[in-house]
Amino acid sequence: MIKEEKNFINLINEHQGLIHKICIMYENDPDVRNDLFQEIVLQLWKSFPTFRGEAKITTWMYRIALNTAISGFRKQTRHVKTEDLQEVHFNISDYGIDDLEENFQKLQWAIRQLSEIERAMIMMALEEVPYEDIAETIGITQNNVRVRMNRIREKLRKLMS
Amino acid sequence: MMELDDLKYIWKNNEPGFQPKGESEIALMLKGKSKSLVDKLMRSVWLELTLTLASGITLLVYALTLPSGALKWTSSAILFILVVYTVYYVKKLMLLKRFDLANENLRATLETLVASLTSYLSFYKRSYTILYPVYFVLGLLFSFLDRGTTEFLEALSRPRTIVVLLSVATIFYAGTIWFVRWMLRKLYGNHLDKLKALVNDLHG
Repeated sequence: MIKEEKNFINLINEHQGLIHKICIMYENDPDVRNDLFQEIVLQLWKSFPTFRGEAKITTWMYRIALNTAISGFRKQTRHVKTEDLQEVHFNISDYGIDDLEENFQKLQWAIRQLSEIERAMIMMALEEVPYEDIAETIGITQNNVRVRMNRIREKLRKLMS
Repeated sequence: MMELDDLKYIWKNNEPGFQPKGESEIALMLKGKSKSLVDKLMRSVWLELTLTLASGITLLVYALTLPSGALKWTSSAILFILVVYTVYYVKKLMLLKRFDLANENLRATLETLVASLTSYLSFYKRSYTILYPVYFVLGLLFSFLDRGTTEFLEALSRPRTIVVLLSVATIFYAGTIWFVRWMLRKLYGNHLDKLKALVNDLHG
């Protein structure tokens, strides 16, 4: 294995949680999710030689992973319908379980109800990516990020209440 | 629970179903083929270009051995079409190469992808609009070569032949154009609509 490949694999190993979270937010079907994971890894690998370390490694990864999930990856099928998601939501509410895992599923469900752009923004915000980097990754101004984040928080509040 | 900090806490502490991939699995992924729309289109165009070049070279070698005559004319006409197709595929590749996921932000990527895909599809439609009349003229040329000048011009001067030729040409042309547009819409239309909606969302 060449040194560059080994460095890249170590990098993916270290940050694969980030890719995994993007995959679960953009794909419901486990098989398609795996395909998306592989696609993101491939696109990162293709761009790895041009990464010069000017940007933070996670910002670079977010940019490529979100670009791939939102624009570069064409889904073959859409397996999970809105009704199925609603069912998940109601089941969680009915049981009233508030442990962390259930709350994570509830949050995951709520985020999936947002638009694809909003999903990208809230994910980065939840990962403590600064607004400046969110603005740079999405291609909008920091003011716009603030306005949109307020709207997203409001939407999540309604969805999770 | 509704404040961002609470959401961050939930987000960071739980990753149900997360099974980390091993080094060997990641290494295997690097050898896989990309399933992105642009990469798929590029692979398909490269395959078409390779086949066109291989057919062209084979036909050229064969045509050089032929004595002057109808068969040589026919081979030359097909070679001409293959040259046109080669230019067509190179142009398609140039359109697809404009797309770069790594160095652009999401908004720029979406805008470039919408522009690239729109140009690619327009070019695809335009090329068919131009190439099918060329095929029709070549069909007439082959008929001319086969029948000889006198018989060909005599047949072409009959009103019935003109009406039949025009009808066939119109049906063939309209049918092909309709089919190409329908096929492109079915293959890429929804994806393009989704990309345009995302761009509008970012502009909003």
